[in-house]
Amino acid sequence: MTARVIVVTSGKGGVGKTTATANLAAALANMGKKVVAVDGDVGLRNLDVIMGLENRIVYTLIDALDGTCRLNQTFIRDKRIENLFMIPTAQSRTKDAVTAEQMIEVCDELRREFDYVLVDSPAGIEAGFRNSAAGADEALVVTTPEVSAVRDADRIIGLLESMNKSPIRLIVNRIRPHMVKKGDMLGVSDVLDILAIDLIGMVPDDEAVVTSSNKGEPLVLSSAPPAARAFRNIASRIAGSDVPFMNLELPDSGSLFGKIRRAIWGH
Amino acid sequence: MIKLKGMYDSMLRCIISEDMDAVDFVKEFDEVRGKGKRFLPGAKVVLDFGARPLSEELIRDIMSDLVWSSGMYVAAWITYDAATQDLLKRIGLPTSEPAPSARTNERALGGTLLLQRSLRSGQRVEHAGDVIVAGHVNDGAEVLASGHVTVLGRLNGLVHAGNNGDETASVIARSMEALQVRIGTKIGSLDRDERWWGKMVIVRVSEGSVFIDYWPAVKSENRDENAG
Repeated sequence: MTARVIVVTSGKGGVGKTTATANLAAALANMGKKVVAVDGDVGLRNLDVIMGLENRIVYTLIDALDGTCRLNQTFIRDKRIENLFMIPTAQSRTKDAVTAEQMIEVCDELRREFDYVLVDSPAGIEAGFRNSAAGADEALVVTTPEVSAVRDADRIIGLLESMNKSPIRLIVNRIRPHMVKKGDMLGVSDVLDILAIDLIGMVPDDEAVVTSSNKGEPLVLSSAPPAARAFRNIASRIAGSDVPFMNLELPDSGSLFGKIRRAIWGH
Repeated sequence: MIKLKGMYDSMLRCIISEDMDAVDFVKEFDEVRGKGKRFLPGAKVVLDFGARPLSEELIRDIMSDLVWSSGMYVAAWITYDAATQDLLKRIGLPTSEPAPSARTNERALGGTLLLQRSLRSGQRVEHAGDVIVAGHVNDGAEVLASGHVTVLGRLNGLVHAGNNGDETASVIARSMEALQVRIGTKIGSLDRDERWWGKMVIVRVSEGSVFIDYWPAVKSENRDENAG
């Protein structure tokens, strides 16, 4: 097996990187892929909570790097979904506990055993981000339709480009069609116009995300919430299927989808 | 890969491709040194890294494996990554595109930098001369030029024209969406609800104040139609 190693990143904090990582990992595993989600946020780990696996942590990635255990001893197997694993990180250490070379080695070792390796990156542009991105081939940039998040995403895309990650694709998270329609929120087409990278998914703002994060149950396991459908679609697109984009347009608002379509397909 | 090209004033431009993997540096440096054995010693070279950020370690490696070992004279270290520029300046290395010696005063003819890309947040271009950006200047990006600046795309970031104090410099943007523009020692600011927002404009200094106007100048009765 040779996995695709994908870093999930954003620049700005709190835009939904960890939620996206957890849900995409779960959705890909649900499609029958063997997936591992790696928490790259040393010192501020969250992925374990959102995936609901915190009570099962024995060894962390840092233990494996320190030589306390083997890498495969850090794997936590998800009991709900077959083929879904996660590697937790240490809460008691800082970003300096990992180097870029170590992350490359870890990713290369994981590559042999999985179909997909998703690395959840910390916010920021410093060593923590660079390390998480070091071992990855591709990148998913998560942003919300807010000016500050888009500016930070732009910065991150510049850095990812210079690190030679390809493709770099965009997830626009927490879209509120009502606000976009009133002109109180940037639309997806505005965001794409600024960032000039390919869109891989749009996720509507959905209260179910908060509930699922707190419960530690990946949203994609339930069928109803719109955000769950959005994440499943993104997972299918990562896997290479051509899934049409969700229509986040409000009934009778004419233009949002048209604009998105123009932004993506140029007509 | 690394390319060597001729420039004005018999300078060489050494372009270190942005998408070259950092692990290939040593190998590529070897190759450049091999190819330039005869002409690199003493040659004036501009090292152009595009938007690549450089770490302290990498700068050290470039010094030992390329600069000192080839005997080149580095006229400038060019990178659009603002943090790297600051790092280079702290070490005392020149980061601004060198102005052509014979034509320093004829900036419109001489040192015009045509940048065929968009500048993303955190990227910065500094140039002694005029700058044309064939792309967007995004929010958080900076263009500093001793001469005029023309942005063929959207201007969201910060532009400082005439940054050594020349207040005859001007800024032209195809879509003006920046809250601030600097010319010489003056700062002009703009609000999102002003009529120039999003329009093609020229900004310049006149009698000590910063002025903005549509570009090209349009007759007042057609103005809103043309601009809209």
